[in-house]
Amino acid sequence: MLNYILKRLLALIPVLIGVSILVFLILHLSPGDPAQIMLGTKATQQSLDALREQLGLDLPLHQQYFQWITNVLKGDWGRSIQLKREVLPLVLTRFKATATLAVFAGIIAITFGVLAGIVSATKQYSLWDRLLMFLALVGFCLPVFWLGLILQVIFGLKLNWLPVSGMYPPGQTGLGNMLKFLILPGFSLATASMAEIARMTRSSMLEVIRQDYIRTARAKGLPERVVIYSHALRNALIPVITVVGMQIGFLLSGAVLVEIVFGWPGIGTLMVNGILARDFPLVQGTILFVATTYVFVNLIVDIVYAFLDPRISYN
Amino acid sequence: MLVLGLMVLAVAGCGGEEQALEDTQIIIGLQAEPTTLDPAQLTDYNSSRAAMEMYDSLIRFKDGSTELEPGLATEWEISDDGLEYTFKLRQGVKFHDGTPFDADAVKFNIDRQIDPEHPYHDTGEFGYADFTFGMVEEVVVVDAETVKIILNEPFAPFLGNMAMNSASMVSPEAIKEYGKDISQNPVGTGPFKFVSWNPGVEVILEKNEDCWRGAPNVDRLIFRPIVEDQTRLTELEAGNIDFIVGIPPDDLERLKDDADLQVVEQPGMHTWYVALNCQRPPFNDVRVRQAVNYAINKEAIVDNILKGTGVLAKNILPPVIWSYTDDVQDYSYNPEKARELLKEAGYDESMTIDFYVPKSGSGMQQPVTMATAIQSDLEAVGIKTNIQQLEWGTYLDKMFQPVDKSDVLMHELSWLGDNGDPDNFLYILLSGEQWPTNGFNEGFYKNPEVDKLLKEARIISDQDKRVELYQQAQKLIMADSPLVVVDHETQIVAMKKKIKGFELHPTGVFRFDKVSIE
Repeated sequence: MLNYILKRLLALIPVLIGVSILVFLILHLSPGDPAQIMLGTKATQQSLDALREQLGLDLPLHQQYFQWITNVLKGDWGRSIQLKREVLPLVLTRFKATATLAVFAGIIAITFGVLAGIVSATKQYSLWDRLLMFLALVGFCLPVFWLGLILQVIFGLKLNWLPVSGMYPPGQTGLGNMLKFLILPGFSLATASMAEIARMTRSSMLEVIRQDYIRTARAKGLPERVVIYSHALRNALIPVITVVGMQIGFLLSGAVLVEIVFGWPGIGTLMVNGILARDFPLVQGTILFVATTYVFVNLIVDIVYAFLDPRISYN
Repeated sequence: MLVLGLMVLAVAGCGGEEQALEDTQIIIGLQAEPTTLDPAQLTDYNSSRAAMEMYDSLIRFKDGSTELEPGLATEWEISDDGLEYTFKLRQGVKFHDGTPFDADAVKFNIDRQIDPEHPYHDTGEFGYADFTFGMVEEVVVVDAETVKIILNEPFAPFLGNMAMNSASMVSPEAIKEYGKDISQNPVGTGPFKFVSWNPGVEVILEKNEDCWRGAPNVDRLIFRPIVEDQTRLTELEAGNIDFIVGIPPDDLERLKDDADLQVVEQPGMHTWYVALNCQRPPFNDVRVRQAVNYAINKEAIVDNILKGTGVLAKNILPPVIWSYTDDVQDYSYNPEKARELLKEAGYDESMTIDFYVPKSGSGMQQPVTMATAIQSDLEAVGIKTNIQQLEWGTYLDKMFQPVDKSDVLMHELSWLGDNGDPDNFLYILLSGEQWPTNGFNEGFYKNPEVDKLLKEARIISDQDKRVELYQQAQKLIMADSPLVVVDHETQIVAMKKKIKGFELHPTGVFRFDKVSIE
């Protein structure tokens, strides 16, 4: 197992080098000039040229890349051109906000998705099954953007139960204060994943329930609850975990839209603004960070398999 | 929904309402996160709206207009040759950090922006430095309370420049202390002072009890970036925030009817136009340019697309700027006349013109929808256009190519006024000396007669004579039709009724110093 993890960690290096080169090239080869955006429409040619020189944008591309990557390795992620702040602390703060939202949404999606899947599978073709799977279909198809706006109008404006947007009450911070602010964006973000997980759990559960060892368990006279939750579920969860792993990527990237609708100060809004402003150091740093996280999450998912299913081993 | 209901109940059970704050505050919903709070580095509205409550400049625009009044300077004198401006500074003013405001601070602030050798020149990027102070030769400290600014050529609008955001005074000690981070640690002399900036969440300012202009009535201002227009609107309607900008045109009427809200409007220093490349066929023929102007139904764009968020433009100069005249050639919608002119000019109808349009951009209103309307109007008179959409940064880059490199025949752009002087629109956008990369005449218009008038008007200081020159220039320019002017954007904000005494300013910054809460 340890060997496997080490191997996977080593494989991370070429992946991240690839990502860094790709991001760098896409940004630098696409048209648009950070100096122009930064100085606005009223800057003169001289000041634009001076800024380009100061930012090193006049150097050959490979030199710019090596300069950036060596600095990154030394822990200097550069300074955001547009926001005029150090990139690394900025990315970390924003990532914390996104991660909080994604984890919260993930918990909702997994808890209620798996629950709905089990109910549907054990009561196949019942009214509950049909209702839940209909809701899952709807949830899967709803655009997050639209759902978010509708939830804001219902729960924020009409009922006035929850805050419409933002992360904290004015002038305050802290997790406790954040809770109320998490619900609407968390739910909007979770809906599609919840639906997908519910459908996956249902079909996987149905398959497992029909297997011999379940019949054996029932024949032994075990109560249905035990049969479902300790015998069937564990095996039914393997494909679900795969879906969950993929959903984490979705939660991190799908968060962009939710973040914009709900004014959530996460990494998605940071990245979108950065791309629009051609803020090279910021976007490169953000993507490198997200890519690293993504690779690690996938590694964790793979390890979890082995714990869930003793038949899987990585030796 | 069931799940959501459960969560609401759970949270409602554990959290009480926040205690009501006894002091007064206004929460303002901005369209995006400010990028800097250093006035010398401001290039966008969201930043300037949050920042400018904290600063003063030597000269101020009066409330609600671009007329000038004393700010940190109490009086000033201009030498007869128009080259030396001597300012007497206000006594006893201190920056928020306690640093006294004096002539050295003025010199420090201007030199920091224009002198590459200045030890603190590298503390920021100054997009407006050349624009504001490009004509400054030297800043001389006469004594602690007198400063003299020497220009390298006479420049009549200079006093207006001294009232621009970039001419605001920042504490030199703070710049020395924070360096580049002055962006996030603003220190000025204005009615509000900086408390905190939680990135992506809010910027908080509190009242400056010791402000030389008198302390403001409101204790605290909170600026929140809310990117999505509908969300910002919902926040206001739900009562969570007090004041918003960027109201979707479709919702405007509804807001005006809301008993708890008020909508404040003011025509801005803004002009939205389509520029035609005057140096290249077909637009080097004045008849074709005029035909385009007649062919576009500007009134329909203002009524149906902008829905009252802009006023129909008759002239490149907005009506809020002095010397404005509407006694210029009238280009009301007239497709018949357009067809006639095109025929007269021998326009080749098989030609397809690329029409460059940004996807969005500062002051661009609804660039794509407006372009589509223009496209179909032009098609109706036989001018085929092909809309080329570009992203803002790329767009600007392409529009400001020198004449020999530019292949752009037709594009949209808008201009936001800076110092309230007609020079700021007419000379900068239309003088033959201002072709890119010198300036912003990106349609390459050149009329020697106009150039002469504009040049003279920016040098002389006789106000009446300047008005006369600018009015002559406006007539000549509009007859040449180098630009199709469509509208002047109306500044619109909505706020709770309890906010009293708020007045918009043509420069687009907000002034909360005299506002009170009922």
